[in-house]
Amino acid sequence: MSVNDRRGEPSPGNPSPGDGTAVSAAVFAAVLAYVNDTAPVLSLRLDADLRITAANALARRVLPEGAIGRPLAESVMDFGATVDVPALVVRDGNVHLLTLKTAAGLPESFYFRFFAVDDGVGEEGGSATLALGGLDFAEQLRLRGEVLTLNRDLNNLTRQLHVANGELRDLNGLKNQFLGMAAHDLRKPVGVIMTYGEFVLEEAGAALTGEQRGFLRTCIDAAAGMKLLIDDFLDVSVIESGRLRLDRAPATVAGILATAGEFGAVLARKKKITLVLEPPEPGLHLQADAPKLQQVLLNLIGNAVEHSVAGQRVWLSVQRDANELVFAVRDEGAGIAPADQQRLFAPFERAGTKKTAGERSTGLGLAISRKIVEAHGGRIWVESTPGQGANFRFALPAGDDKETVKDVKR
Amino acid sequence: MNPDVVQAAAADPLYSRYFDALLAGDGEQCRQVVEAWLERDPDLRGLYEGLFRRALYAVGKMWEHGQVSVATEHFATAMTERMLTLVYPRLFSGRHSGKSALVTCAANEHHQVGAKMVADMFEMHGWRCWFLGAATPLQEILDLIGDKRPDVVALSLTLYFNADALYAMAEAIRKAFPDQPMLVGGQAFEHGGAERFERMPGMRHMKTLQELGAWIESQEAHVRQ
Repeated sequence: MSVNDRRGEPSPGNPSPGDGTAVSAAVFAAVLAYVNDTAPVLSLRLDADLRITAANALARRVLPEGAIGRPLAESVMDFGATVDVPALVVRDGNVHLLTLKTAAGLPESFYFRFFAVDDGVGEEGGSATLALGGLDFAEQLRLRGEVLTLNRDLNNLTRQLHVANGELRDLNGLKNQFLGMAAHDLRKPVGVIMTYGEFVLEEAGAALTGEQRGFLRTCIDAAAGMKLLIDDFLDVSVIESGRLRLDRAPATVAGILATAGEFGAVLARKKKITLVLEPPEPGLHLQADAPKLQQVLLNLIGNAVEHSVAGQRVWLSVQRDANELVFAVRDEGAGIAPADQQRLFAPFERAGTKKTAGERSTGLGLAISRKIVEAHGGRIWVESTPGQGANFRFALPAGDDKETVKDVKR
Repeated sequence: MNPDVVQAAAADPLYSRYFDALLAGDGEQCRQVVEAWLERDPDLRGLYEGLFRRALYAVGKMWEHGQVSVATEHFATAMTERMLTLVYPRLFSGRHSGKSALVTCAANEHHQVGAKMVADMFEMHGWRCWFLGAATPLQEILDLIGDKRPDVVALSLTLYFNADALYAMAEAIRKAFPDQPMLVGGQAFEHGGAERFERMPGMRHMKTLQELGAWIESQEAHVRQ
């Protein structure tokens, strides 16, 4: 491939005589030394089979290891086995573009000229070739300018991204602060509404009509629902602000299950659902914040009950699996579609299935549960086939220090 | 290597390691030094002045003295920009003091890293800062000044042959906003040349990042009073 038709320059082996371009032997030797040692030009000597037999300093630095002594074709980038190197090495003084592999791994394109060398150094089957390859400096300059500009733009964008991230972090902190303050301040008046509503219902209920008692009950239930919502918001604000602190202590699995089972049974009874507590293997224990784990279990039991109908059962169990304790809450409800299973644990996400009694929730319970489990170094997930119930499970690292068990028993 | 550089490098082994790595294009070594530096002194102002600015000025001087190529100088600049992105997660927060600055450099200026360090200095002091790179058209800069009304506009100059372009920009800003306080600074003024900028009303020359830091703090004190 000839990229231009510049020709007619003297080859180093054949200084032009008598036209003003002739050089003395001393100058020629100096030029040769420059090309060999310093010049930003690849200088290769090829034998009749186009094998590289000698290379200047730059070529030795640039070409892949082992290239010298091997055919030039092996150093040429040839994507489709279509480059006919012998056809390119035409000793016509024209410029031929060859892309070479380099020691640095990046290919580089060189503009080559090939010259016949008649220096008498024996080459069997034909004369040697001198290959001189240079870069297009204008092209290199354009490339450098472009890379600098791109790098500058990229760094500016990165800076903008960090500025935006800083602002988002602060806004998120403000949001959590607001959420925490609002939830905290709302909790007390809602508690007062519930308590005094119950008082009125209890002490003045007889004086009210059935409809009026119904109104009052609706007020109390709505306040109770609001309190659940506020409790979830408080949990989220604490977790999101990174202030979730675990009060870890040695705890028995049986104790955690018993407490969660006791409260869970109350929820289940209201909907005529049976909570089955499968007794855990004796002696299981762990280092955990027991009230927070009970909160997770109650949340899972609450969800299971809400998605079950009268007469169905909910199972609560724990199994030891290798170095983990796997807690499970399983129900016989409608199950969860595979597409919903992953996103369930994100805030405000809900499954497509409806709660059987139209119960309301914030959509924060599973997100809170996940944070608590993860803070314990565990993981939480759900296994479900639509129509065949759901099995919510979470695994925590098992404690295996027998002394801890003794401590608990004491 | 010129005597200033040798002396600077000898003064602090960490700086010396960074400077050698910067010239050698060893990004990993540069990163390690930045982390070691921050472990020793978490104040980013020290890192910017004592490592980044000092090393870049030294490389710039070597380039001026024909001791390194322009490619090496560009490489050191690009590497410094990369190091800046490493510290950004520690730098930016949405909390601002209420003061604000707009920082930019001359069009055609490839060396915007100095301007960026100036912008970062404002951020370190809790100022809201708009950084506009070299490619920002003048009209856009004027529009942003009109829109945001920053407390100060800071102009950075690395190469003196861009001084006329920067001066024209400063004049355009002065004409559009006669009372807008402005600052100018950068390596280009190491050999003088800041005088004509300083003759412009409301314009001050900042010689170092330290001086800029002191100026910013004086503005904060002014607000507190």
